[in-house]
Amino acid sequence: MLKDLKRVRNIGISAHIDSGKTTLTERILFYTNRIHQIHEVKGKDGAGAVMDSMDLERERGITIASAATHCEWNKNDINIIDTPGHVDFTVEVERSLRVLDGVILVLCSVSGVQSQSITVDQQMKRYQVPCIAFVNKCDRSGANPYRVAKQLRDKLGHNSILMQIPIGLEDKLKGVVDLISMKALYFEGDNGEHVVVKEIPPELKDEATEKREEMIDAVSMYSDELTEAILEEKEITEAMVVSAVRRGTISREMTPVFMGSAYKNTAVQPLLDAVLKFLPAPIDINNEAIDHDRNGESIILTSDFDKPTVALAFKLEDGQYGQLTYIRVYQGGLKKGDTIINSRDGKKVKVGRLIRMHAAEMEDIDEIPAGHIGAMFGIDCASGDTFVSPGINYSMIAMHVMEPVISLSIIPVDNKSQINMSKALNRFTKEDPTFRTYVDKETSETIIQGMGELHLEVYVERMKREYKAEVITGQPRVAYRETITQKAEFNYTHKKQTGGAGQYGRVSGFVEPFEGEFEFVNKVTGGRIPTNYIPACEKGFAGCMEKGPKLEFPITGVRVTLMDGAYHAVDSSDMAFQAAARGGFLEGYLKAKPVIHEPIMKVVIETPNEFQGSCMGLINQRRGIILGSQEEGVMSVIESQVPLSEMFGFSTILRSATQGKAQFTMEFSSYKQVPQSVADAIIKAKEEDKKKK
Amino acid sequence: MLRKDLIQKSPVVQILGSDYMEKSQFGAVISRAGVGKTQFLVQIAISWLLEGKKVIHISLYDTIDKINLRYKEGYTNLIDSVGYIDPQKASRLWDDLAPCKFGITCHENTFSPKNIRDYLVSLKKNSLEMPSMIVVDGLDFDRDCSIVLDKLSELASEFSLAIWFSMKSHREEAFTDKGFPIQLDKVQSRFAKAVYLQPKEDKIEVVILKDGVKVNERHLIEPATMMLA
Repeated sequence: MLKDLKRVRNIGISAHIDSGKTTLTERILFYTNRIHQIHEVKGKDGAGAVMDSMDLERERGITIASAATHCEWNKNDINIIDTPGHVDFTVEVERSLRVLDGVILVLCSVSGVQSQSITVDQQMKRYQVPCIAFVNKCDRSGANPYRVAKQLRDKLGHNSILMQIPIGLEDKLKGVVDLISMKALYFEGDNGEHVVVKEIPPELKDEATEKREEMIDAVSMYSDELTEAILEEKEITEAMVVSAVRRGTISREMTPVFMGSAYKNTAVQPLLDAVLKFLPAPIDINNEAIDHDRNGESIILTSDFDKPTVALAFKLEDGQYGQLTYIRVYQGGLKKGDTIINSRDGKKVKVGRLIRMHAAEMEDIDEIPAGHIGAMFGIDCASGDTFVSPGINYSMIAMHVMEPVISLSIIPVDNKSQINMSKALNRFTKEDPTFRTYVDKETSETIIQGMGELHLEVYVERMKREYKAEVITGQPRVAYRETITQKAEFNYTHKKQTGGAGQYGRVSGFVEPFEGEFEFVNKVTGGRIPTNYIPACEKGFAGCMEKGPKLEFPITGVRVTLMDGAYHAVDSSDMAFQAAARGGFLEGYLKAKPVIHEPIMKVVIETPNEFQGSCMGLINQRRGIILGSQEEGVMSVIESQVPLSEMFGFSTILRSATQGKAQFTMEFSSYKQVPQSVADAIIKAKEEDKKKK
Repeated sequence: MLRKDLIQKSPVVQILGSDYMEKSQFGAVISRAGVGKTQFLVQIAISWLLEGKKVIHISLYDTIDKINLRYKEGYTNLIDSVGYIDPQKASRLWDDLAPCKFGITCHENTFSPKNIRDYLVSLKKNSLEMPSMIVVDGLDFDRDCSIVLDKLSELASEFSLAIWFSMKSHREEAFTDKGFPIQLDKVQSRFAKAVYLQPKEDKIEVVILKDGVKVNERHLIEPATMMLA
């Protein structure tokens, strides 16, 4: 691995589903000689793309797990993480962005900036990841890279600046004009592998000159040298422009826009050049860690090979040789035989086999130096763990992980499946923090939780394929919550003094709505409740938050203030006060007008204009609120908020209402109170459920 | 209470009166470019929202974000004009109002009353609350709009809708003999109400061109807030 970090790039490829990320990665691997044959994502040869290494991914034509791969371009190392485009797998995107230094944001030249591009952009902002844009599919009918660049500006607020213009569009796409060198680039050979540099065609000369001027004018903001050259009318060199664009890109103040068609093998090589020229090397980026030995002080990590090692495990995979842990080294280096410490639990581990991944194939290496991405075998850890050299106690800042919104019961069909299922669940929960599982105490059913129907569907499918665990799934269930809407007092005495050891405790105070999850405030004075019983009271109140008394959904947003109480010298105990607190909570809670909250999803439908009205109708039928409908070319984009409980099976309904021409994405937006009529239906269903049990 | 206060303060209600629009009728806000047609239309829509009615805002040039921003701004101006209001109450009321309007953006050549009709039919079929008003912002009245107006008129009668349009006039054009801008003159029989906005010193003058007895009434509004001066 290269130790000259100026020649290393850790990049991701992110975009909306079906924008062609995986196809682009495939072409990059082909041009960098990592693969010698091109397979299409949904190709007729059935081989699938190399990056889609899971069977399921190849079958569905989507990328589920981000596969890390490595390639070389012009003697530079590029580590690429291919990230999933579907919103249900957003945590994968988040984890990838956490460890990347730069991103290629792939946009479709026909559909432009779509909902997932907006989500990815927010994540990039959160982790301050610089990006360059690639407007793909310029060979498609309706392609318009200029419109996409404008959308980048209008919808995402990027300072998008064209670095190229297309030579022809749609089926006449022949190549691109590079506005920095002012040359036309054509891609010849069976797979576009020969880049042929020619003069700009005469009919494009004026347009190219105009766009170059616009570009130079815009990027001069980031270079005094370039501004001076413009003002003094000196020669503007390529180096000046490149350096200005690089500075603007790394500071996230501008987004250079490239274009082409990965599928038609057009303009992928110039994009690779752009990755090297404009995206940051590991030494250009500041990474922070928390030092637990110094009260969580933030520490800037440097890509110094001689400093103690700090590395982050960002992805786990179960391979044939055991657990494969993808890791990014930020400081120091990992060598075979090194002893490192998992800073989460303080456990010492020895580094065994180190590898560099190329999608499903692997290459053994001896060392992963700072600034590089690799993988190691045989280390038991969870995703997001930090590994450090002995002597330091750093951890990388935790990733933003969302709470699951949907659950599903799963029942194994036989004993063998049961064993395999628990193995699979153990693995999946380690791999994906948004995928959770627990056993329902009452029904003894195993419940899985996740971010959407597809998210859970994929895991159930993986259980079958990878672990041979056949399971029967129940109806998806929405993660409802309960909360209170007003302040209410309680005054409860727990008294049991009939034979044997007695129990006595009285609690009095009030419950009220609260912004956070739960808060306990103790205002008892004068020893009315001895201080040693206060923790028991808190435990009793907090315990009630797990399940609401009526509907048994988790309770959130309650502050309990304990004002007064009474105790008995002999009969009071921790247990008695816990029971009193439970009774007090119940009394106050029922008086505080409890309501049910449900998860509301942001649903974005993209539909041909002729179906706009019927799609809006579908949203209305589902208690949805339409936020707006925007026309983009031949398509309309309808943005709305719909309760998750109304969205089950929506893809089938949408398909039949639009002759299969519309698609939608869905992501969690917020929790909102359910209307009374729906609350009544939920209560009724819950009661019927109870009766059945 | 807050709703009532805001309705009373609404410049639209003060200028046109509280029962300023019958259902199934057309209204127009006319001015040359940049005087404040859209923002006045937004104030009209907000006064309907405050009455608890639903509104569809169709724009032929603004993006959805911009439409939402215009409503938010219009609402904030109205709140500020009342004096001190508990910010939490104001924000709760906005949360109630915002979902009652929704914006559609499209291009003039693809603007289709049919899509709006499909949507309204689906609402009716599902017995859901119907909008009472549509705002159409950006239709080019320099061209012949009779077909679109016919279709919208059918929609207005079928679904009991009031429809308000923005109408762009031009600085160099004089009013016709009937006292209307050329754009309105051609179609004036279809419109029950029409107001004309023109700059007057540092204010905007609202002239009522069509509205029964109120014709020729003049009011001044602040250009920054569209509130009565």
